Amino acid sequence: MKSRRRRLIPYFLIAPTLIYLAAFFAYPMFQAFALAIYDDEAALPLLDEPSSQGNEIGRLTQGTRVDIADRQGNQLAESQDQSAELGQEADEAGFSTVDVWFLVEGEGTDGADVTGWMPKSRLRIRDEAPDGTALGGTIRPPVGVGDPFTVIRAQPNEKADEVGTIGQRETVSVIETASVEVWYQVVDAESGTTGWAPSRYVEVFSDEETGRIDGATAGEFTGKYFDRMTDDRKFTSAWQTTLLLMIVILPLQFVLAMAMALVVDARLRFGSGFLYVFALPMGMSDLAVGILFFSIFSGSGLINSFLDTLGLIDSQILFLTSDTRSWIIFAIVLAELWRSTSIVMVILVSGLQAIPRETLEAAELFGASYWQRVRHIVLPLLKPSIQVALILRTILAFQVFAVVIALSGGDVVTVLANEAFRQYRLNNDNVASAYAILILALSIGSAFFYLRAVRHESEVEAV
Amino acid sequence: MSDKSELSSQSEISELDKSSNTDSNELLPLDHPSVVAAHKRMKRRANRGRRFTYVAAIAIALWIVIPIFFVFSMAFTTEDAVRAYPKGFLPFIPFSTDTMRFFLNFDGVLAGLVNSLLVALITLVLSTIIAVPAGYAISRYVFPGRDFFRISVLAVRAFPVVVLSIPLAVLFIRTGLFDSIWSLSLMHTALVMPTTILVVASVFASVPYELEEAGQVFGATPLQSFRYIVVPLVLPGIAASGLFSFVLSWNEVFAASVLTLDNKTLPALVLTSLSNSPPAFQFAGGFFLMVPSIIFTFFIRKYLFNMWGQVAK
Repeated sequence: MKSRRRRLIPYFLIAPTLIYLAAFFAYPMFQAFALAIYDDEAALPLLDEPSSQGNEIGRLTQGTRVDIADRQGNQLAESQDQSAELGQEADEAGFSTVDVWFLVEGEGTDGADVTGWMPKSRLRIRDEAPDGTALGGTIRPPVGVGDPFTVIRAQPNEKADEVGTIGQRETVSVIETASVEVWYQVVDAESGTTGWAPSRYVEVFSDEETGRIDGATAGEFTGKYFDRMTDDRKFTSAWQTTLLLMIVILPLQFVLAMAMALVVDARLRFGSGFLYVFALPMGMSDLAVGILFFSIFSGSGLINSFLDTLGLIDSQILFLTSDTRSWIIFAIVLAELWRSTSIVMVILVSGLQAIPRETLEAAELFGASYWQRVRHIVLPLLKPSIQVALILRTILAFQVFAVVIALSGGDVVTVLANEAFRQYRLNNDNVASAYAILILALSIGSAFFYLRAVRHESEVEAV
Repeated sequence: MSDKSELSSQSEISELDKSSNTDSNELLPLDHPSVVAAHKRMKRRANRGRRFTYVAAIAIALWIVIPIFFVFSMAFTTEDAVRAYPKGFLPFIPFSTDTMRFFLNFDGVLAGLVNSLLVALITLVLSTIIAVPAGYAISRYVFPGRDFFRISVLAVRAFPVVVLSIPLAVLFIRTGLFDSIWSLSLMHTALVMPTTILVVASVFASVPYELEEAGQVFGATPLQSFRYIVVPLVLPGIAASGLFSFVLSWNEVFAASVLTLDNKTLPALVLTSLSNSPPAFQFAGGFFLMVPSIIFTFFIRKYLFNMWGQVAK
């Protein structure tokens, strides 16, 4: 018994992590895919009868122009609360969806008592309960010529059977109130699709005969968000710049990181001081580094000040304007080199420390020069560390964001993460998610590429 | 294979090189003139290499320190000096807290600082509470699914923050959690947790289980030996990982900009007002963004390779 409990302990310990990651990692991940490829308001299903129990006989996309063929009320099955909510929703949308019907009791035109349903529009309420529920009233006189009587029906529905009629100004008591949602039978003139739809999804024009599908409930998988992403005028520039930055930065970064790692590993005096300084940028925010390099490259910044003090320039060189794209990219490269080389260095140093000193000493004894040792012993043995650092850096390179905004305002030079942010700001959550998924795909793709590439090489070597 | 053969040919060459002086392969006494000369030559070469290494070290250090020092200079001087051109460095320009005061009086900055601080602290506490047991589990227990758990934690760490931020923003808007420091802390916790777990695991792994057992041999209960033997040993490492969570949250700008509107953290505030703010604001903002990481790096410099070496594996 005790041993079983002991076996469960690790699962108890990792359970909070799993729950947390499910909620704040797996769910958003899933949601990102959903936002990017699924339109949950793509189409409005049309039913064969004006009731939510009807069968779907067709679909119309949002915005389709339709003819209104017929109109009918249908009692809401749900409670009053929901219908009130529905009415409110409809008011916000600017068109009415809910008719109120009363179950009334009064003296019919034939002299007998009659009980049945009539629309609210025909009753002037004279008696109300404190909560606003109608208790009784008088029948309104009809407007203009027409049927002088008000028809009482068996159901709160214009199509229901007639149970009697009540004359105008007769007093009736209200037994029950029902909310009725209006349904329209819509016809799409082009495709001929026809069917019933609740009025909250149909905007009726003032002629009462035509309208427009104004809402949708049925979701569909769609590529339109990716299309909108690729059609965006900044898309090409964004992915090209992202790749360009990566291709330029990564090699430089690894050379610099290797140099830093070798210096750290050389066990100099003040070695820990150098290590601290080299590691400084590691914990720094990309935004801070963006500001740092902005202050260096800006018109009155460090470089201009320096050149001016030396008397080398007469007027400020403007590096960061919309006409100097390449200077901006150069500044971004430097900023990224400055910021993210430290982490590569740390990974390489931990790799270096794992290389047995004896191997290097043996090589030295055999007369191998420093560069020979680096080239033939250190680099091959560092391959796993280099691989890890490459994967990490590539993934992070797709997320370059604040540095670019700080140095270019996010406009002249743009990258993928920046575009995702811009689309989000424009309330295009779906397109923003498409960008996010693209970044994810590129990250995973490059990780696999490195894993495969490095494995291939080692296989070749083994042969 | 090829490496080895090349090396041996290399050593042959140097062997020949030496034998030209000694013309025999016999071992010479250590005080033999040629041995002494060779030794001196090697030492000189090593010294030259060492000097070159120092030069490289100083050059790299300058490349890192100069930008930081420049921003610090600008953050602690008068507004005139910030606006001046050409700009100078701190000993040559007046020291003053003007820039700082201007920044702190800027609309929303104090609130942003408080928000950043709260978010970072909540992230620190949450991630530590959740990650420490998990880190302990993967370093102390062997259980089915352990490797899978480790790998998924690693995978989580590699996923882009961009992918998580936008759907979470949509979710938070729907649930009414949007634009609160709590929702941002939840997001940041998800971001730092994988690293925290791996670091904590490596910290626990560095304390041998035998120590705990020894405690129990001497009559401590498992809980006691954990409390009095393991906890004191792992506390510095866990503090380092907590600091790491704090700094990561303090620095994080993408999720902060996406998930907040009125309750912006400092980075989000600085990012949005970057284009239409005076230089003094930018320099002082940069200073505030950098300070925690500089302190952090100082405190964790001993754990640097433990932490990142482990995480990288």
